[in-house]
Amino acid sequence: MMEVEWALIIGFIAAGIRTSAPLMLASLGETIVERGGILNLGIEGAMLIGAFTGFMGAFLTGNLWVGLLMAILGGILTVLTFGILVVRINLDQVVSGLAINLLAAGLCLYFFRLAFSQGAFPYLSELIGPYPIPLLSQIPVIGEVLFNQTIFVYVGIVSVPITYYLIFKTSYGLKLRSVGEDPLVASYLGIEVSRIRYTALILEGIFVGMAGGLLCLSMFNVFDTRIVAARGFVAVSIVILGRWNPVGAFAGSLLFGFTEALSLWIGTFLIGPASASISQLLSLLPYLVTLIALLIGGRRVRGPAALGSPFSKE
Amino acid sequence: MGLEVKRSLALSKGTIRSLYKAGISIGFALLLTSVLFLLTGANPFLAFYYIFAGAFGNVSLAAETLVRTTPILLVSLGLAISFRCKVWNIGAEGQLYMGAMLGTITAVALGNTPLTLIISLLVSIAGGLAWASVPAFMRAKLGINEVITTFLMNYVSIYLIQWLLAFPFRSPDTLFPESAQIPPSAVLPVLLPYTRLHLGVIIALFVALPLVHFLMMRTTFGYKLKAVGENPEAAKYGGINVGRTMFLALIISGALAGLAGFVEVSGIQFRMRPSLSPGYGYTGIVVALLGQNNPVGVALASIFLAAIFNGSTTMSRALGQPQGVVDFIQGVLVIFVLASEYILRYLERKGVLKV
Repeated sequence: MMEVEWALIIGFIAAGIRTSAPLMLASLGETIVERGGILNLGIEGAMLIGAFTGFMGAFLTGNLWVGLLMAILGGILTVLTFGILVVRINLDQVVSGLAINLLAAGLCLYFFRLAFSQGAFPYLSELIGPYPIPLLSQIPVIGEVLFNQTIFVYVGIVSVPITYYLIFKTSYGLKLRSVGEDPLVASYLGIEVSRIRYTALILEGIFVGMAGGLLCLSMFNVFDTRIVAARGFVAVSIVILGRWNPVGAFAGSLLFGFTEALSLWIGTFLIGPASASISQLLSLLPYLVTLIALLIGGRRVRGPAALGSPFSKE
Repeated sequence: MGLEVKRSLALSKGTIRSLYKAGISIGFALLLTSVLFLLTGANPFLAFYYIFAGAFGNVSLAAETLVRTTPILLVSLGLAISFRCKVWNIGAEGQLYMGAMLGTITAVALGNTPLTLIISLLVSIAGGLAWASVPAFMRAKLGINEVITTFLMNYVSIYLIQWLLAFPFRSPDTLFPESAQIPPSAVLPVLLPYTRLHLGVIIALFVALPLVHFLMMRTTFGYKLKAVGENPEAAKYGGINVGRTMFLALIISGALAGLAGFVEVSGIQFRMRPSLSPGYGYTGIVVALLGQNNPVGVALASIFLAAIFNGSTTMSRALGQPQGVVDFIQGVLVIFVLASEYILRYLERKGVLKV
């Protein structure tokens, strides 16, 4: 009896980490650009494009890794389009982000329906599954929870110290942060503000494209225009709650990944007449928890000083 | 007196610029859509002809376009108020659903009384307003970005409503997760026989539009909205309560979205369904931006988007195009609305246009 319960709990923790992966990747990417003073709310749309190009790439070639590559390319292209709007022509970042989301939704819906006739139900016959790390995955409990995961989880976890190092210990990170605090002063000091910001945006595009792609390539084997389901906005919330720090973003991602896993997990244990009802209502739990977390931890926080404001040297 | 009239008839420089920007946005969006049609093997002229014919080809089609305009206009008028003070409410979809749900519950509970319609409409306004007051409070009092909170609340409301319709308020007489039918006295009367054109269009065009116009153009609140939108710091030093203005702007936009929701139930669907809105809350964003937060501009933009909504269905059937052209046009439109100021300035620099 005890053993069965242990297995369930270990399974739940592993699932929680698995569902955290898209949030980890997306929030790390967003942390980088926000440190450079750019609020990218188009992350939702970039994830959707990543999911779409990833799905199409994998479906058309039959190779999931081609799909992943296409997802990353889709993410980079979308985030760079946003970059042109806000860095090149200095448009309002919030509205540009919203515009990117609407554009992405429109493009994906149209081209998905163009590619597949109405009523067709295209799906991927396999998914990118867990890749157990030799030896480490044999360790009891920890092996199952941490080392028997998909590459997306590994990339997410490994990227936390890398991103931290990039932001706080490299000269690029120093420039990035000074651009995010005061781009005018940074430009007087000889820092090329737009180059720094474009670099950050490309990095974000890689992360976000992966985050979107993994939804189709590793979690669900189908594409739907609602697949991202506000994960991009949850990632932006996580960046605020994590105080623009990769470690905070990682912790926040786990919180929401576990909430999502919990809402699914509870549903599987319910029995009796009310079970269907309760498990359906639980779908709103991750959003509610994000809102409550923002209510508690998001009030009057101070982010990078120049976050969200347009910058031009003139 | 005479001078006053003359001044209001002549278009100001700002209005001309706005018109140019709208023209540039629509022109570029349609150009890009034409390219898309060409790439997918459809004749763009024919496609636009079918869209136009499908939207205005005869009286009943034109009536359907006005039916479609109604919720879009109600939502986007509210968003224009909120966007005017740079409060980015992207939760109109959820506010619309909450208004519709609460209005429907009220109508069904009250039954067939002479006051059912008016009370349900008021409850739907209150429902949208209350739902928007949560992110409004978080924005005004705690400084939490309203874009994130309003969007997340869409998901809470839609899942909540799916649950309400699947369980506590499920219709006893159908097999679907939908509410019971609203009583006859809660139905908005039809204006034109043999069409679905209902009183809602009058509410939107001849009640909400003038009211919002008055509010934005002729009251101190309208002035405050603009001041906060243009420069919140300066507005604060000028003695305007910035938080309060933002709060009011957001809850008013929620109220109008809520109204749009129940008008849709009461005029068209007669039941609350999880599929009530095909994204009017998001179309409203495009419309408010295209109309540049001017109520009259917003009205024209609503009719334009409604026409594309309805016309593209006809066009898709005629030319074998996939559904979803309207989403494509919405997406590119919003990008060009954004870029139009830049494009206009470029054209002025090159001497192509003079404003």
